[in-house]
Amino acid sequence: MGKVLKKWWPLFVLPTVLSFTFGFIIPFFQGAYLSFCKFKTINKATFVGFSNYAAAFQDPEFAHAFWLTAAFAFLSTVLINVIALAIALALTRKGLKGTNAFRTVFFMPNLIGGIVLGYIWQILINAVLSSVGAQLLSLNTTAGFWGMIVLTLWQQVGYMMIIYIAGLQSIPSDYLEAAKVDGANAWQTLWKVKIPNLMSTITICLFLSLTNGFKLFDQNLALTGGDPDHMSEMLALNIYNTFYSRVGAKWMGIGQAKAVIFCILVVCISLVQLKITRSKEVQQ
Amino acid sequence: MKANGGMSRRQFISLAGATILGLGIVGCADNSATSSSDSGDAASSDSSSEATGKVYYLNFKPEVDEAWKALAKTYTEQTGVDVQIVTAASGTYEEKLTSEMPKSSAPTLFQISGYVGLENWKDYCLDLSDSDVYKELANPDLVLKDGDQIDAVGFVQENFGIVYNKALLTKAGYSESDITDFASLKKVADDIQARKDEIGVKGAFVSSGLDSSSSWRFTNHTANMPLALEFEEDGVTNPDTIKGTYLPNYKDIFDLYITDSTCDKAELSAKTADDAVSEFVNGEAVFYQNGDWGYKDIKSIGDENIGLLPLYIGAGDEAKQGPCSGTENYWAVNADASEEDQKATLDFLKWVVTSDEGTAAMADDMGFNCPFKSSKESDNPITKAATDMIKGGKKAVSWAFAVQPNQEYRDDLANALNKYAAGGSWDDVKTAFVDNWATEKAANK
Amino acid sequence: MGKEKATNRVLSIFFTILSLAWIYPMFMILVNSFKTESSINTTSVFELLGASNFNGLANYVNALTRQGFAAAFMNSLIITVTSVALILVCCSMCAWYVVRVNNRFCKAVYFLFVFSMVVPFQMLMFTLSGLADRMGLNTPLNICFIYLGFGAGLAVFMFAGFVKTIPTEIEEAAMIDGCSPLQVFFHVVLPIMKPTYISVGILETMWVWNDYLLPYLVLDSTKYKTIPILIQYFRGGFGHVELGPMMACIMMVIVPIVVVYLVCQRYIISGVVSGAVKG
Repeated sequence: MGKVLKKWWPLFVLPTVLSFTFGFIIPFFQGAYLSFCKFKTINKATFVGFSNYAAAFQDPEFAHAFWLTAAFAFLSTVLINVIALAIALALTRKGLKGTNAFRTVFFMPNLIGGIVLGYIWQILINAVLSSVGAQLLSLNTTAGFWGMIVLTLWQQVGYMMIIYIAGLQSIPSDYLEAAKVDGANAWQTLWKVKIPNLMSTITICLFLSLTNGFKLFDQNLALTGGDPDHMSEMLALNIYNTFYSRVGAKWMGIGQAKAVIFCILVVCISLVQLKITRSKEVQQ
Repeated sequence: MKANGGMSRRQFISLAGATILGLGIVGCADNSATSSSDSGDAASSDSSSEATGKVYYLNFKPEVDEAWKALAKTYTEQTGVDVQIVTAASGTYEEKLTSEMPKSSAPTLFQISGYVGLENWKDYCLDLSDSDVYKELANPDLVLKDGDQIDAVGFVQENFGIVYNKALLTKAGYSESDITDFASLKKVADDIQARKDEIGVKGAFVSSGLDSSSSWRFTNHTANMPLALEFEEDGVTNPDTIKGTYLPNYKDIFDLYITDSTCDKAELSAKTADDAVSEFVNGEAVFYQNGDWGYKDIKSIGDENIGLLPLYIGAGDEAKQGPCSGTENYWAVNADASEEDQKATLDFLKWVVTSDEGTAAMADDMGFNCPFKSSKESDNPITKAATDMIKGGKKAVSWAFAVQPNQEYRDDLANALNKYAAGGSWDDVKTAFVDNWATEKAANK
Repeated sequence: MGKEKATNRVLSIFFTILSLAWIYPMFMILVNSFKTESSINTTSVFELLGASNFNGLANYVNALTRQGFAAAFMNSLIITVTSVALILVCCSMCAWYVVRVNNRFCKAVYFLFVFSMVVPFQMLMFTLSGLADRMGLNTPLNICFIYLGFGAGLAVFMFAGFVKTIPTEIEEAAMIDGCSPLQVFFHVVLPIMKPTYISVGILETMWVWNDYLLPYLVLDSTKYKTIPILIQYFRGGFGHVELGPMMACIMMVIVPIVVVYLVCQRYIISGVVSGAVKG
């Protein structure tokens, strides 16, 4: 099988690998190299060693963006998963009417793009803030942060809920019945039967929402744009702004260095996820 | 199963077709990749293009995008030269320019907002000393220079001050001649504020919203007065540090704006530029600090009702003070563009500032008050008022705010003003105004 | 069991309210997209339509005519359809090959694909846009080449995950019958993988259709805009936002998505589930 197929590589793998090379591999390594350079365009780059990294680590806005992103990712992960799991548990109850309709509604926002979502919520949140006489989003760091949390919840709770529902439905019904026979109440069933059987789903959802939280860009750009004064600017937006909005040639290299740091961070999180998922598989 | 087999054959054909398409794209892409890497530097790589150049203008002002496109179309019809107009979405000009410049079809014509922007882009500026567009300037000082080189040419002369509603001012029992300096402005405003219900307004000044849609009126334009006066006194144009000599006057005028206002100080942070416009248009306020670019928004109160006062802050020679007049709109031609494209761009610019179509479009469709010899006079009443003031012997105040270090500085200042308006201390404003100047100027280096 | 029923009733009511709240943001945009420009400001957003603020379809006409909505919509459509078609065909073939041949090269390629899934776009946005420009990949059709490369990670990963579960016997039997690998793939493997095609197709469509930064940086901005890029242009200079046309535009973007979603709900949801479980 493999032997016959092997010759067919120009047809089977070449298109994908070629576009992957140009769409990912070359820009990736160029990017990694440019993080050690001072440049305005790719052709005019001069090697400067680690100074971009030093500048990136000393940039207070980058540090602020990091902590903000970490706080946001953590908080949104917890909230999304708690709410999504709670809704999933309720919607998988026997005898509850309209579950399909609810599921449809909760999932819907997920299909709308981040930019559009950002503008929708900007209008809505500003209206709320204005009617209670609070500062508008572009001046209001707290509202900006919580606005992004609410927006992210709105967008992602439905998505995670769907995955949890699938997870819950795949728990063998004899487990649940056995628990019932043993006289377990709903609470005990949840903690002793459902949650342990959901662990792999929970891991997936946790990391999905965590990486989404770290990579958040469109929503951030459209909702607050980093206002006021970069206080609601998360890592991805900070990198973008360093690249394209700062005056002075040195900022390009610093932006690329920040991007490399960001990349390493996200890759590390994913490695942890991989490790946890692997160890789960071994246990089972 | 049989039906399935038929299906998959059809699918097979279509999918195979798609694959071939995919390979085709790969092939094309590959070719162009090799050809462009062969020819090296991006600027002159396009060997296949015709001898006539192209124009690609990256425009800054979203509100005149359509007018530019129409004008470009006319030019293309007349000359056959391809003119592309791209407008950056509001607030994204700098990033758009940064992302467009490295491209092989980079803008041939772009805008610079002043000496701060020039720092970033001077390597890309063609010397315009011998260009027609520079020679057409009625006021040869309206340029950005780097040594002897003319890097950019201003193409709009804008004015700002305190716009007021003439009908309402009359109704309140005053006329323009009653306001000759800051003291009289304050007296009139205080009186209107006290009698606001009787006059039928909500306040003397429109709300001074401090969100990003509106804060530039104070961080840039109001701040221009203390900056211009200080620069004049110290004989500098673009200092690395400032003293804030006239900061107390800045406080006076800002206090006036937020005290004699349509809304409570605490509500200011919930107001936007749109709110200010609608208050002025609906006759809820008499005064509105803004410039001639805002005419379109307030047109509906009638040209005869729109007046302009100098931006008095209670310092300098107020008897002679005129409107703040200058520009943040300079044209620069991309030095990296091919010679044909540069020539095409310069020809286009010459046509824009000299031809009937060009001057008419600039004045009527875009509402610009242009500083060129053959420019058509704009019928914008704010511009007219400003011009009349200067003709009457008043002295225009230059746009000193154009050398504010960067957007960071302005954002910080807006933040500080916002805190102050909400009951905070003026010291924060002082720090943001004076200390941050030095910090941000250094950060630009 | 009466208690159970009562709980269900309470939950039903609760979820009905929650669902209404969930839809409210979209409802609000819908209502406001019919208002006159001057009656939309920060405080009047919550007001319903009335004679005084009703503007008919003016905002829609404005959004459609002025900002090149139709062109942007077509660009988005072309990019999405072509990219997803390319991704589905090329990546499924690639995944099958990689799993079946499974030599050192395939393993390396597969590892790189998986790696690319986690790398954030910011890492390569600058270099990628430069490369795309020099290669002429800045038109709606050619940008699909980049999407193929950039979307390959997830697609190959998901297809490969499925291929691993297909027993090789069927394919080998077909091979012995004299089918070429191409025929085996399209007659045998492809029909079995149908559910995965749907999953991958849906996930990639959601990504490409909504993607903002890649087309913004890569597409030739003198000629092409996509929907997410277009939305930004409703903010004018000097802080003025054309809220009416902007909301009309948002509605015109959302409505097709909602309709497609309601029609293909079952596939979308199962696609998302299998995508997530594998990812």
